[in-house]
Amino acid sequence: MSNIQSTERPHTEAPIEGKDPIVRFKNISKSFGDLQVLNGVDFDLYPGERVAIIGPSGSGKTTMARLLMTLEEPTDGFIEVDGRQLWHKEVNGNFKKADEKHLHEVRGDIGMVFQHFHLFPHMTVLKNLMEAPIKVKGMSKAKAREEALAMLEKVGMAGFADQYPARLSGGQQQRVAIARALVMHPKVMLFDEPTSALDPETVGEVLEVIKEIAKDREMAMLLITHEMSFARDIADRIAFFDEGKIQEEGPPSQLLNEPKTERLGEFLHRFGIDGKGHNV
Amino acid sequence: MIWDWQYAFEILPRLLKVAHVTITATLGAFVVAMILGLVLAFARRSTNRLLSGVTYFVVEFIRSTPPFVQLFFLFFVMPQFGITMGALMTGILGLGIHYSTFLSEVYRAGIDSVDKGQWEAATALNFTSRQKWVHIILPQAIRPIIPVMGNYLITLFKETPMLLGITVVEMLSQAQIIGSQSFRYTEPITMVGIFFLILSYGASLLVKRIELRMDINRR
Amino acid sequence: MILIEVHLEILKNLLPGAVPTIQLTILGAMLAFVLSFMGGLGRLSRFAVVRGLAGFIVEFFRGTSLLVQLFWLFYVLPFMGIRLESGMVGLLALGLNYGAYGSEVVRSAVLSVPKGQHEAGIALNMTAFQRMRYIIIPQAFRTMIPSFGNLLIELLKGTALVSLVTIPEMTFEALVMRTSDAAHTLEIFTWLLLIYFAIAYPLTMLMRWVERRYSLGRL
Repeated sequence: MSNIQSTERPHTEAPIEGKDPIVRFKNISKSFGDLQVLNGVDFDLYPGERVAIIGPSGSGKTTMARLLMTLEEPTDGFIEVDGRQLWHKEVNGNFKKADEKHLHEVRGDIGMVFQHFHLFPHMTVLKNLMEAPIKVKGMSKAKAREEALAMLEKVGMAGFADQYPARLSGGQQQRVAIARALVMHPKVMLFDEPTSALDPETVGEVLEVIKEIAKDREMAMLLITHEMSFARDIADRIAFFDEGKIQEEGPPSQLLNEPKTERLGEFLHRFGIDGKGHNV
Repeated sequence: MIWDWQYAFEILPRLLKVAHVTITATLGAFVVAMILGLVLAFARRSTNRLLSGVTYFVVEFIRSTPPFVQLFFLFFVMPQFGITMGALMTGILGLGIHYSTFLSEVYRAGIDSVDKGQWEAATALNFTSRQKWVHIILPQAIRPIIPVMGNYLITLFKETPMLLGITVVEMLSQAQIIGSQSFRYTEPITMVGIFFLILSYGASLLVKRIELRMDINRR
Repeated sequence: MILIEVHLEILKNLLPGAVPTIQLTILGAMLAFVLSFMGGLGRLSRFAVVRGLAGFIVEFFRGTSLLVQLFWLFYVLPFMGIRLESGMVGLLALGLNYGAYGSEVVRSAVLSVPKGQHEAGIALNMTAFQRMRYIIIPQAFRTMIPSFGNLLIELLKGTALVSLVTIPEMTFEALVMRTSDAAHTLEIFTWLLLIYFAIAYPLTMLMRWVERRYSLGRL
């Protein structure tokens, strides 16, 4: 593995200055029965910003993404997306629980790439990309097709447009899944451990695609990952999650090289990274 | 002489003349069962505990009591409430209701067989609830249950002779009538048996072929 | 105005009919159970003749509809010089028909036991009979139980049909009662359905209990 400190960073301009956050978690808690998964999380994500979330499994990082995608409902707290409440609706100054109609409105700003791809097995690759733009955004078939093909080109899957997902390797499926999320042009894109379910030899192609799309700063990206060097390369900021909370966050160089908390130090050590950002 | 060929050929047209009653009853009842079964499946899945609970009980009750008695119930009791319909219609309704309880379970199994991730991916792409059902979930749920539904269609077909209990003149009833006129039952009843055997066995072979094709990873 | 006497009168007439219904169910199930194993194992025999014969018989009784078989035994057998009591006719038809369905349950359950179990039996130098008796069937039996449970309920429902060959079971009693007391049709058939359910429900529970018992300590 390469020395983490020396890898290039494609973009260095800070996108945060003078902007309002696109996503804001305020004191978010989530429990499943007796199990408290998130414990008062505060977190901001800015337009165009790329944040990697790292942390041990079971620390609640995936739950964060799932709350934002409205796949789970928070037990407590507020989530704002582009200035609007996600899980709440303001009625005469009071916050009420959001209904499906409200969720549908706000959810359009968010896209997600799943660990297990979740392509629609009964549709071709092309159809997987066209279905939502046509049905959800009311796009014309011709336009949807054109955009879908362009996006497949971008992820290097243009040659597979007429295949069914079952025929593709894991890495190929994940590239299609990324394209499927991209054609909806979300303002925020969530990647939930996008390479964890892949065979080692296909991890690289997916990471390349994600790096590629990270180049234009059209959308904010929230990356939940175990790939440390990848996080280091791509992220403007890394947040370390443990025991249902963000324990530490900061620019990659700072966070990986000089962990402030003991927990993070131990966590990095397990990934073969010493306190100075070097592999051991 | 146990079997009289000449007699058999003589009565064949009279038997086949009512074949359409058997077929109509089968297909009609199956359509009722498919539609009502879907309603029951959704009612059972409802988040409304009362609706879901009542549906569960109704389904259990109907599927564990004889369709033959249910037919009599409809046939004799509906007119008391001012609902009159022909015997065949009653039969289609009765068998349809009975088999809807089975199909509702089949639908439920089909829906449950769709991976949870499909729902999540559909949510992430912001499909409406209706779009999720129509475009994502149902197309995947239906595929594995087609052979199962085919088998229920065959079972239903073989149940139609019981309609003679409520005066529907279908094939077995016609055979009974022919038999009572000539006092020769062997040929008509045997021929009806063969009719059922050919159609249901043929259909079951077809279902097996469909099942095999469904099994192989798509295209 | 609903009088309690009316209901008592109905129950007084119907409940004695429940005895033959339950008898037919239990005896029919026993016959069907034995035939299921004969048919199911016959279809898996090493000998082509046995396989073919068992296959033909099973498909024949599966394919020709219970009521047609019932009528055939009732109307046609006497012409061949075989006179059976009507209760016997009912029992035979139920046993043969559900035995044929049960054969498929046995067959597919035996086939579902992994091939390695056969091979382990061979490696221990067991005879074909020993392998079947001590290795395969005990494992297959567990997968058969839920299907046998469903068939048992189907068989109970099927007993209502034997009323058509003048066996005085419950449905028969209800139909007789109705001809003399048409005013209480609703009550009669409601009670009839309830009694069937009262028989079916404990049977379902019993089969679930058996299923649980056989799963204890296993996968």
